[in-house]
Formats: sequence, C-alpha cells, structure tokens
Amino acid sequence: MSYIGKPVKRFEDARLVSGEGTYIDDLSPLPNIHHAAILRSPHAHARIKKLHIEEAANLPGVMGVVTGKEVAALTRPFPVGVKVPVHYYPIAVDKVRFVGEAVAVIVAKNRYIAEDALTLIKVEYEALDPVVNIEDALSAESAVLHDEVGSNIVNHRFFNYGNVDEAFKNADHVISKKFSFPKVSATPVENYGVIANYTKSEGAYTIWSNFHGPFTLHSVMTAALKVPSNRLRIITPKDIGGSYGIKSGVFPYMVLMGVVSRVLNVPVKWTEDRQEHLMASSSGTDRVSWIEAAVKKDGTILGLKMKYADNVGGYIRAPEPASLYRTHSNATGAYRIQNVEIEAIAVVTNKSPTGLIRGYGGPQHYFPLERMMQIISDELDLDVIEVIKKNLLTKEEFPYQTATGGIYDSGDYHKALNLALESIDYEGFKVKQKEAWKNGKYLGLGFASIVEPSGSNMGYITLAMTPEERAKSLPKSGCSEGATVSIDPQGGINVRISTVPTGQGHETVSAQIVADALGVDPSTIRVVAELDTLTSPWSVASGSYSSRFGPIGSSAVYQAAQKVRLKLLEIAKDQLNTTVDKLVVGDGKISLKDDLEKSISIKRLVGLAHWNTEGLPNGMEPGVHESAFYTLPVAKSPNEKDLVNGSVTYGFVFDAVQVEVDIDTGEVKILDYTTIHDAGNLLNPNIVEGQIMGGLAHGLGAAMYEELAYDERGQFLTGSFMDYLCPTATEIPKVTIKHIETPSPITPLGAKGLGEGNTMSAPVVIANAVTDALKPFNVSIDQLPLSPNRIWSKIHNKSTVKI
Amino acid sequence: MNGEGSIQLNGKIGTVFTSLLDPEVLKNCIMGCNELTKKEDNTYVADLSVGVAAVKGKYDATIFLADLQPPNSYKLIVNGEGAPGFVDAEAEIQLVPIDDENTELRYTYEAAVGGKVAAIGQRMLGGVAKLIIKDFFKKIKKELEKVNIAD
Repeated sequence: MSYIGKPVKRFEDARLVSGEGTYIDDLSPLPNIHHAAILRSPHAHARIKKLHIEEAANLPGVMGVVTGKEVAALTRPFPVGVKVPVHYYPIAVDKVRFVGEAVAVIVAKNRYIAEDALTLIKVEYEALDPVVNIEDALSAESAVLHDEVGSNIVNHRFFNYGNVDEAFKNADHVISKKFSFPKVSATPVENYGVIANYTKSEGAYTIWSNFHGPFTLHSVMTAALKVPSNRLRIITPKDIGGSYGIKSGVFPYMVLMGVVSRVLNVPVKWTEDRQEHLMASSSGTDRVSWIEAAVKKDGTILGLKMKYADNVGGYIRAPEPASLYRTHSNATGAYRIQNVEIEAIAVVTNKSPTGLIRGYGGPQHYFPLERMMQIISDELDLDVIEVIKKNLLTKEEFPYQTATGGIYDSGDYHKALNLALESIDYEGFKVKQKEAWKNGKYLGLGFASIVEPSGSNMGYITLAMTPEERAKSLPKSGCSEGATVSIDPQGGINVRISTVPTGQGHETVSAQIVADALGVDPSTIRVVAELDTLTSPWSVASGSYSSRFGPIGSSAVYQAAQKVRLKLLEIAKDQLNTTVDKLVVGDGKISLKDDLEKSISIKRLVGLAHWNTEGLPNGMEPGVHESAFYTLPVAKSPNEKDLVNGSVTYGFVFDAVQVEVDIDTGEVKILDYTTIHDAGNLLNPNIVEGQIMGGLAHGLGAAMYEELAYDERGQFLTGSFMDYLCPTATEIPKVTIKHIETPSPITPLGAKGLGEGNTMSAPVVIANAVTDALKPFNVSIDQLPLSPNRIWSKIHNKSTVKI
Repeated sequence: MNGEGSIQLNGKIGTVFTSLLDPEVLKNCIMGCNELTKKEDNTYVADLSVGVAAVKGKYDATIFLADLQPPNSYKLIVNGEGAPGFVDAEAEIQLVPIDDENTELRYTYEAAVGGKVAAIGQRMLGGVAKLIIKDFFKKIKKELEKVNIAD
C-alpha cells in the first residue's frame, strides 16, 4: 500500500476544527509575562525632536517605556545583502521613515493599561518632505531618506546575456511598454505575535513567535542582538495561522521585544492588531517595469530588454532586494529567448518595508512579460496562441538552460496549453466574442504561461552584488533542509521537521512519506512541526518559503526515513538469516520476498534496538533515531558571468480566463478560470487543490482589489479591511483545475513545489482578458488593481469604438 | 482635502467678527471642544475629542488667528495632535455685509490628516469635515442670536 500521491485527509484538521489548535497567542510559556503596546509614527518622514515619556511611565501598572535610543545602544543595525549603509533598527532612532514605524514600546501589567499609556506619550516631530513614488525616488531631486546613503537608490545592477544588440538589429519590430504593479500584502488571518524573555544569567534571548523562517534571518537577528547564535533560541508554536511569506517580517519585532525584555527585566508579550498589520508589517514591493521586445514578423521573440525598479519602503531589510532576483533564472518565462538585458533597481521611499510574500517577485515579473505576449500578437496581427506556441519551449528541449542560468528540470508546456484550449473551446469563444461585441457585451479571453520556480537556491540573493563584490566573501549555494525520524522503545514513530508549516499540511505529507518507507499506516505516525532552534534538525535555508517543501523538505523527510528503513533491514537480515536485497517492507513488518510467511514485525526490530542490544548486528548503534540533511547539487552559487540557477525545480502553469466587462460601471466579472498545472508528481492531491485555490485567491486580490495605498504625502490610506479589499468567498469565480505530471528527474519523489503559480499568473491573465474584452476601445491594461473606476476611466477616455 | 461654503448670519459685520474671535464662543461652537484657553494674542490651545469612523480620540490643538483684517477677514490655522494622529487645517474667512443686520460669511479650507485617522478614517473624512464645519456655523448663528438679544 502506497500513501504518497493519495488524497490522504490532513491530520492537522481535526485539532484545528475542534478548537485545539495552538497558536502564539495561546501560549503562556513563562510566569509573570507583561504586555507590550507600540507607539507608531503618524508621519511618513520626520525627525524626532523630543519624546516625552514621563507621564506614560508613571501610569499605575506600567513597567516601563523603551525608546529607540535605548534599543540602538544594545543592538547593531540589521545586516542586509547590499553594499549601501542603510541603518535599520526595529524602532526609529532619530528619524521616522514611514507611517506606522515604531517610536516607543510601553510594557504594562496588561494590554489595556499599555494602550492607555500610549496616549500619554508626546512626541515632537519636525516633518520632512516625503518620497512616495518609485519614479520620484529614482530622481536625484528627491528628498533623501538615509543621509549615509546619499540617494534613494539602494541597489542597482546591470545584466547582459547572449547577444542583445544583434537580436534588436535583426528584429522586424521593437515593441516597448511600461507597466506598474501595486504594493500588495497577503493578510494572514493571524497577525504577528512575539513572547520574548532575556535571561541575564545565560546572556540569552528565548523568543517564541509565529515566525516561519527562512532561518537566514536567525543570523540577521543574532547580529543585531550582538549574541552568539546559540544565545538566541527561537521557538515556533504548533500552529501558525497563515503567512504566505508575510510572517517572516515579524523578525524586527522579535529583536525589539527581546531588547525590551532585557531593558525592563521581565518577559514580554506583544500581539499585533490588524491595523498595525496593514500599516506596518510587510508586503510585496510595488514595481515599475520598462520592457522592450525584439520580434520577427512571425512572432518569434529574438530578445528582451527589461528594466525594473522595486520599492522596498522606508528601509531595505533582509531578504530584500531578493524580490528583484527571485525570478532572475526564469526571467524569460516559458519561452526560448536567449538574448536578454536586465537592469534591476531597488529604491527606498516613505512606505512600509517589504519582504517575502507568496510568489515573491513573480507577479511583478510576469505582469509585463505576459502582457507583452498579447501586445506583440496584437501589433503583428497574429493569434496570441500562435505567438505563444512559436516561442514556448518543447518537451524535447528539457532540461533547458535559460539565458540567465536557470535549469528547467522537466516539463511539457505544449501539452498543458493544448489541454487548456480543449477545455475552453477556444475557436467557439472567438465566434461568441464577436457576436457579443455586436450586442454591446464585452467578453474577453486572456492567457498566461507561467514557469513556477520552487525551492530557492541560497545563492541567488547574492546577485544583488557584482561578481567582484561576491568574490570578496564566501560563496553561497545549496538549499539545505533537515528532518529526523525516530522510533521509541515501544515502536512509536516520530518525525521532526524544520519546514515550519503555516497551513500547508506538512505534517500529513511527512507522515505519508514515512509510512511508505516503513510500511506502516500514516495515521500511527506523529509529526512534530514546532521548531526550536536549539533542538530541531535545521539549517540556514530551513523554513517555509519558495514552495520548498515539495522539492526539498519532503526529500529530507524521505532521506531520514530511508536511513531508518535501512537500519531496520540490517537488523532484520540477521534475524531472518538472509541478505537485505531479499527483504521487503510492508504491513508493519519486514518479510522475505520469496516467502512472505517468514517475517519479523517492525515493533520487534525496534525492540531489539532498544531493549536487547546484544541481538544487534556487530558495531551497530542502539536506538532508532536518524536525521538527514538534504540539498540539491543544481543549487550552485552564481558564477562570474552572473549565471545562476535560482531554484531547484520549475513547474508550469497555463491559465485561460474568460471575463465580461460592464462598460457602464467598469466592473469585471470572471466567467471562467481554467488553470492547468504541472508540478511533477503530486504528493497529496487534496493538499494540492487547497494550495492552488489559495494561491489563486491571492493573485485575484492583486488583480482586482488589493493595494496598500498612500497619498502624495506618504499618508497610508488603507488601514482596515473596509479600505484594503481582499477577495472573499463570493468573489472567487468558478475555477477548473487540471493537472499533467512530468516528474522532476532531480528530486527523489519526482515532486516540485506549487501553490504560488496562480499568485503569479492571475494578475496578468485577468489583465489580458480585460484588455481582450475591451479590444473595440483599444484599451491596454498597464496598471493594477483593475478597480471599476480605473477601467471605467480607461474606457471613457477613448472616443472611438472599433468592432 | 479642501472645500468652501458660505452662510448668512444675523448680526452686524463688526459684531460677527468679534464673536468669531471670542474664546468662549469658539469653545461653545467647536464640536468636541472640552477646553479652550488663550495662550497669547491670537493663539489658543484647545483640547478636542473627535471621532472619525472607528478612530475616536483626543487631540491637543493649537489654534492661530492670522492675517487679521477686522472686520473683513482673517485666517484660522489649526494644528491638532493626539493618539489617533494629527490634523492640520487652514481656513480663510471673509465677512461681507448684506445689510445693517445681516452678514455673509464665506470660507475656504484645506485640511490634511495623518496617522491612524488617515489610515482608517479616509473614506469618512470629507463627510466628517463638512459636518464639523456646518455644525460650527450653526452654533455660531445661535451664539449670535444670544448676542443680538443681549444688545
């Protein structure tokens, strides 16, 4: 009986739906915990002239007030992977650089008193000119946020691959466009939470938080706290209420509360509220892209020039500017384009800082790229499918090395495309659309082909530095993850993972994998997903991000399970007087292949290893406790030509979406969303379905509703769910999900990651569909979200209608 | 955020002008004003409680009167700061006599808010500002009636 690939029901769900989940706010791991509230800046850009804290500090029940100067005295600025001297502390020291930046922390007996005390602090500010838009920040005229840097550009790199000049010389057409992608968040149901305790006797910080990695940030935190790495112990709760990358942005608060605990000599708990979360937690970058395509008359794309500028907010903080480079290896998407020029820029502005988010850089990247496929076909008067097919990689070309160094492991993109076209009746739609236009109904069909990278390579982030700069420090590569499988003296199987799931069902899939390896029922296995940096089998790349459980986390579990399996086989071979190759594992026992009656139970074998060690093979260690660490050799550091394979596996998504636009109101209705996925072998189709729907909802939000909006003075305008609109169940259209499976040849289970693809594809596919519907008005969508007022204005600024 | 409007007040232009600058009158007419004291000539400090949508709270406000051209016009500058954020407003007020007993008051204003009140209250702000201003002049009208009766 095999469990991998079966729609096993999630083992996590029973506790979650019965109220037995354990989240950060449920924890009370220490006595005498006090509660923190944070005073935040109402200004986008201002100098702090004076802080009056006495009245607040004297309120009965208040333990103390901690300000930026005290925090700065006990910490160093957070390190970041760029060469400019941006001094980022978890709290403002002399200046505030975004609305919502922490200015003081009050700790009291309870949160009520702490909140009351906030209103007693008076701050004297000297307001400074704000910088809000990317293009303003690029200008030398803009007010400088960080005097030490001297400009608002904090990272700037040029890349050139193939022969771009030649490609543009040989082109029949050169098409240039500009696109803007909004600043969006992912709004997990549970906000940030931290419990911090500093013990003077050990000189150590213990911090509980719903942080999910990556654990490169552990080193960023220990550097800031100025302690050896084993003096910062991070513990995550059993359950985390969603993250989608955003929860990694809790790390400044972990450091802040750690220091506050140290200053006030008391354990401190802080739970973020929704207003704080929207205003000041983390988000994706907003991006302006300029893209130029060199094309032949037949639609062949010879080369691309791309320039993009990401807005990382008031401070550049780790892992930024990685959103610029996350898609570097798949910059040319699903297409055969070997001549590419890229200019990547990160700017700081008076908005909230950014960080990991589902799709990380992908939605921003595919918006211009996939819009161009439609624009090219319009300009050349070709069918868009013809243009896509002309450039789309064929299955014979895999493994395919992209111009930028990506190694696409496997795929059959044409098969996925054809499956989509069959599902939607493409030819029939074209007829229906023409008829509808004549009747004043505006139907549109959009496509998007997305290469979905999964399992990031540690090395890609170092692209932010030039090859010369990189050469001065140790190279970074790999994507290491660890797991432990152990069996206790009575045969209970335990698995410990370090992938810190935030709702993706890692416990279930780990149990499936171990069940297959040891021939037992997965429901008998216990998986511990809580991470503790002092005791878990983790490495620098651990955590939940870049869809890395599918290709990497699951492989670490698999390898650890194989070690245990091998040990049990070795014990069994002596007991059954045979050799390992003559044995099979299954039904809770190990048997002779040729004589299944001759067998020994797993429980008995484990018993030998614990209770009767003299029966073990010579030299074998007692007990059953195996850890494995896994990485992939394809995750190499970038070379001197800036070639990098930024991910280990590459899946594929092909979307076909039909919309209707009401030209009187500008409202977009999604009639059908068909999405074809290839993520290699699926480990659990149930979980896959949930992950795809979740990723799609996030993409739909960015496409249609969501934007963290600021006014021209840098005031934040979307501080509640009345203003920051997320799609709810009623906004989710009919979705048809289909799969093809081309196994990854490089992972032990043939699996790839998934769950981020539609976050990347939905914004552009819906923009393509709306553009197609409004073809009679010659409207081209170059900005999101597609709010009714934006679409209405686009339609009604056009005077002529051509059908 | 900006706006303009006008209102007809019963009272001589001189009476209206004096009333508008009277701290006691101002205190009674500004919505949510708990206290208003004169700090120096043409400068007052006030303690205001105002709620915009879900953002309720206290503001410490400084009110300046500038460009005084009695009895024709003046400028009113308000800087308020408090737990919900800050408010900076500037209004130009012009008085035009209609006849011996009536005066027309014309105003234009510009206001900016920051912090939580901008983040949460943005949708409501325009409406709330209009409400506060209308309420102010309605109360001024009543105060003038008291003055006129006393006369």
